[in-house]
Amino acid sequence: MTSTGQLRRFRGFDDLRLVGSQVFYEQLSFWLNPFGAVFTVGFAVVFLVLLGATAGNSRVAQFGNIREIQYYVPGFLAYGVMATCFNTLSVSLVARRENGLLKRLRLSPLPSWMMLAGVTGSAFVICTVQVALLLLIGRLGYGVVLPHNFPALLVALLVGVVCFTALGVATSTLVPNQDAAAPIIAIVFFVLLFLSGLWYPLPPHSALVKISGFFPFHHMITACFAPFDTQPGASAWAWHDLLIIAIWGVVGVVVAVRRWRWAPRR
Amino acid sequence: MSEAPAVVVEGLVKSYGDLRAVDGVSFEVAPGTIFAFLGPNGAGKTTTIEILEGFRQRDQGRVVVLGFDPADEATSRRLRERLGVVLQELAVEPYLSVRRVLMRHAGFFPHPRPVEEVLELVGMSDKARARVKTLSGGQQRRLDLALGIIGDPELLILDEPTTGFDPAARRGAWELIQALGERGTTVILTTHYMDEAEALASRVAVISGGRIVAEGPPESLGGRDRGSCQIRFRLPVGTAVTDLPVEASEAAGGGIEIRTLEEVPVLARLTNWALEHQVPLLGLTVERLTLEDVYLRLVGDDHGDAARGAR
Repeated sequence: MTSTGQLRRFRGFDDLRLVGSQVFYEQLSFWLNPFGAVFTVGFAVVFLVLLGATAGNSRVAQFGNIREIQYYVPGFLAYGVMATCFNTLSVSLVARRENGLLKRLRLSPLPSWMMLAGVTGSAFVICTVQVALLLLIGRLGYGVVLPHNFPALLVALLVGVVCFTALGVATSTLVPNQDAAAPIIAIVFFVLLFLSGLWYPLPPHSALVKISGFFPFHHMITACFAPFDTQPGASAWAWHDLLIIAIWGVVGVVVAVRRWRWAPRR
Repeated sequence: MSEAPAVVVEGLVKSYGDLRAVDGVSFEVAPGTIFAFLGPNGAGKTTTIEILEGFRQRDQGRVVVLGFDPADEATSRRLRERLGVVLQELAVEPYLSVRRVLMRHAGFFPHPRPVEEVLELVGMSDKARARVKTLSGGQQRRLDLALGIIGDPELLILDEPTTGFDPAARRGAWELIQALGERGTTVILTTHYMDEAEALASRVAVISGGRIVAEGPPESLGGRDRGSCQIRFRLPVGTAVTDLPVEASEAAGGGIEIRTLEEVPVLARLTNWALEHQVPLLGLTVERLTLEDVYLRLVGDDHGDAARGAR
C-alpha cells in the first residue's frame, strides 16, 4: 500500500509538516467523535477506577503479594494501546473504506504512507494521553507505585502502538462490511482480552497461559507490567514478550499490504 | 488546438471477469475545454474516468493525462496535484467543520486556492463552521465540488456533479463550471442531464456497452446539425417516396421521415404538392430533434444496469 517510489520522492521538511498536520486532523476527528473518545479512553479510565475501588487492598499472591491495583494499572496501559490501535482503528478503517473516505484520500495527492503515518502518529498521541491519565489516577487515587524504568515502558508502548496498528489495519481488511465491523471486531477483541489476563492474573502453568501465550495481548500486558519493577530480580525489559508482539506486527503488516483495498468491493 | 491534449485515450480496454466494461474506447480532450460523457448506468463511464484518475488499472490501451500515465505510481502524486476529482457518494470526515475539511485538503496541494474563496465560489460561506454531518445532501455535494477545486486543478473530473441539486444550486454549479472552463481549466464530466451537457460541454461522447457510439460537439452530435427538425408522415398506397418534391427517406415501420434544418420551406413545398396532387399526409408530425432524442437513438437497446443486472 505504500510505494517505495513515493518514499523516494520525499520532499523533506514540507512533507514532515504535512504528516504532522495529518496527525492533527486525525486527532480532531478522534476527539470530536464521541464514540472513539468515550469508548477508547473513557472505558479504560472508568474500569480502572471501578476495579481499584472494588479491589481495595486485596493482594496478588503470585506476584509477590503486590496490591491488585498495582497489577491493574499496567494492564490498562496495555488495554489503552490495544483498544486504540486494534479495536477503534480497525472499526474506523472499515467505516472509512465503505463510506468512501479512503477512496477520496487515494484520489488526492496525499501519499498513502503519509495517511498511515498520520493514523499511527495520532494513535500514539491518544495512547500517551491515556497512559498519563491512568498513571495519574493510579498514583493519586490509589497510591500505585509509578514505573521504575520509564524508558522500558516507553519502548513497550512504542512497539505496542506500531504492532497493534498493523494488526488493526490487517483486521480491517478481513471485515467485509461496516455493519459487521463493530460486533465482529469487538467480540474478537474482548475474547482475546479475557484470555490475556486483563481482569485477573492468569494462573501460572495453566492451559489458559498456553493459549494466551500464542496471542499478542497477554504479552502486551506483561511488557507494560515489567517496567514497574515490582518483581524482585525480574528485568524491566520484557524482551521475550516484545519479540512475540513484534512477530504479530510483521504478520499484521503482511496481511495489511496483501489485502488492502481503498474502496468497497463492487 | 496546437497545444498537446490534456487527455489522450487510445484503445482502452477494461474487463471485470467476463464482462468487458470498457471495450476499445478512444478520445481526446483539448486543454481548456469541457468534455461531457453521456451513457446509461453501467455503460463504462465510471470505469473510464476511474482509469483516468489512476484509481483503476487498465487492461489494454494508452492513457495520457496531463502528460502522465495515471497508472504509474511513481508520478501519481505529481499528477494528482494537478487533478481535481468530484465523485458520487464519497464521505467526508463527519465530525470536522466544513472549513477544517477544506483546510486539510488544501494542505495536500502545492498551490491551493484560498479556503474562503472556494467557500464563496460554491456558496457555502455561511456553512464554514458547520460540522460535515449536519449538512444536507445538496450541501454535501457542494462541499464535494469545493474539495474538487481547492487544489486549483488543471484538470477537473466531475462524476454527475449536479445529481440531487435543486434548480438554483444546479444553475450555480453550472456557472462555476463555466467560469472554471473560461479560466482555462479542462473539465471532464459525466451526466445524465442532456441540458447539462448541452449547456456546458464543447464536446460530448456517448458511451454505450463499453464503446463510444458518437462523439462531437453537442449541436451536431448524431447528425443533429444535418436535420435538427424531423417531419414524419405516412403516404397512401400507390404513392412512393420518390414522388415527393423533397428529399425524404423511408423510416422503420413504413413511414416517411424527413430531416431538415429548414422546416418551413420544406413543409411549404410538401403541403403544396399534397394539395395539388390530392395526397393525404397521414399522421403528419413535425418534431425538433433534441440531444435527448439523439442520445436515446444512439444508446438504443442499452437500458443500463437495470436490464443487465447490476454489477
